[in-house]
Order: sequence, then structure tokens, then C-alpha cells
Amino acid sequence: MNLRIEKIANVTLIVAQGRLDFSAAASFQAQIEQALAGAGGAGTAVVIDCEGLEYVSSAGLRVFLLAARNAQRAGLNFSVCALQNAVREVFELSGFSRVMAVHPDRAAALTAAAQKPA
Amino acid sequence: MQSRTSVPGEAAQLAALTRFLQDFCVTAELPSAAALPFEIALEEIFMNVVMHGSPAGRLARVDVSLALCDDDLTMAVVDDGPAFDPLSLPAPDVNAPLDARRVGGLGVYFVRQMMDAVSYTREGPRNQLRMSKRVIRAKAAPAGTKPG
Repeated sequence: MNLRIEKIANVTLIVAQGRLDFSAAASFQAQIEQALAGAGGAGTAVVIDCEGLEYVSSAGLRVFLLAARNAQRAGLNFSVCALQNAVREVFELSGFSRVMAVHPDRAAALTAAAQKPA
Repeated sequence: MQSRTSVPGEAAQLAALTRFLQDFCVTAELPSAAALPFEIALEEIFMNVVMHGSPAGRLARVDVSLALCDDDLTMAVVDDGPAFDPLSLPAPDVNAPLDARRVGGLGVYFVRQMMDAVSYTREGPRNQLRMSKRVIRAKAAPAGTKPG
């Protein structure tokens, strides 16, 4: 899987693409941790754009959980956006969509990030 | 239509198993949306065997078979590791707050939720997990013609 990081004002946008299975999870986690560390501290926002993410298993979901938790502890405003159907199903079944902010698309996530500082 | 493969129970085999499943689904002309729940189920069950199914010093052997009968796809994952029924795991608390969240048990929970039927049997020295689900075919080829 591929990961690209963009900075848009006070938002760190992580664009995830491909398959997030057990094999990809460790590298994904390391890159997310790096992105969180470089996000700019409390009050800034981190958005994971999942438009290109085709597949997430429980091993991949674990990375989202750790990221959301670490972001919360660091005072960052964390959200995910643009989930494909297969990924949305996994988020909904696991209840993750109830413990982290999920936006329909990138524009909505960026608007929310600008309006709601952590 | 049926197919079968066999791999050692090590994480590096996940990609080969996923490819085996994807190839089967392409040949069977199943839409990718129909294949995805099986990809997740295969990863979750196989990785359970990898993590817990190999006693020290010996890799478990894992056989995966697929059968498409009418509109039902059935997948069986059989391993020769220690007896373990993944369906005996307690369901995770999917309503816990962020701080109390754990991922353990989610994989098997996905399998139960995504499949129409799941069953475990211990047959001699082997664990057998069978999963099936109705799949919607991409489109039926007209009678008497071959695709492609």
C-alpha cells in the first residue's frame, strides 16, 4: 500500500492507497506515527483520506485505533474520510465509526478540521 | 467449480492465499464486492492459525478450498495445529469508548457478521472452519457461449 502526506494549513492530510492487510500494517503504523509526531501539536488536525484504500482487515483497523488514541492524547483533532464501501463496512461492524470522526469526503473533513479545533 | 491450495502456516503466505482467492473469483466471474468478505475472512482465520496454530518447532499446514455451487461460495480453512475453535471466542465489545477499545476478537467477529454460515469441526488432528455466503454473479454468460 502507499501513503502520502500533505500539509494543508494546520491540517496534516494522510492519503492512504491500496490494501491495508496484516502484511502492510506495520509499515502503515510507523508512517502514521511519524505523521502524528510531525503534525504540529495540540490544536492541529490529522485527517486520513481513505478514498484509495480498498481493503482493511482487523490488523489494519488496529492501526487506525492506535492512531486515534495517540492523536487524542496529543490533543490533535483526528478524523478519517472517504471510506470505500468495503472499508466502511469494517468500520461500522467494529463500531469504530462511533468512536472516531468519519467524514464523507476530503472537503467535509477539511471543513470540519478548520471549524473545530481540538 | 472448485479449487484447493495448501501452504505452511506462516505470515508470508498471506499474499499467496489472497491471490489464490482472487484468481478463483475472477475465473468464476464474481464481482470484487463479492470477493472482499472472503478476503477478510481468509486473512483473519489464516492469521489466527499463524499466530496460535503452530506448536513450537513445527509449522502448521493450512489447506484452503473454495467451491462455488449455484450462488453460494463456500471456503474451508483446514489446519493441523492444536485443537482450537475460533468461534468459541467471546464477541468483542463494539460499543466500548476509544480508550477501552481492543482489537482482539474483531477478526472472528467480522467472519461471523460477513458470512451467511460459519461452522467449526475438529476432524482427527485437524481444525476445519467452513464459511459460506451467497454471492451475486457479475453477469451470466448467455447459454452455449464461453466468456472471453
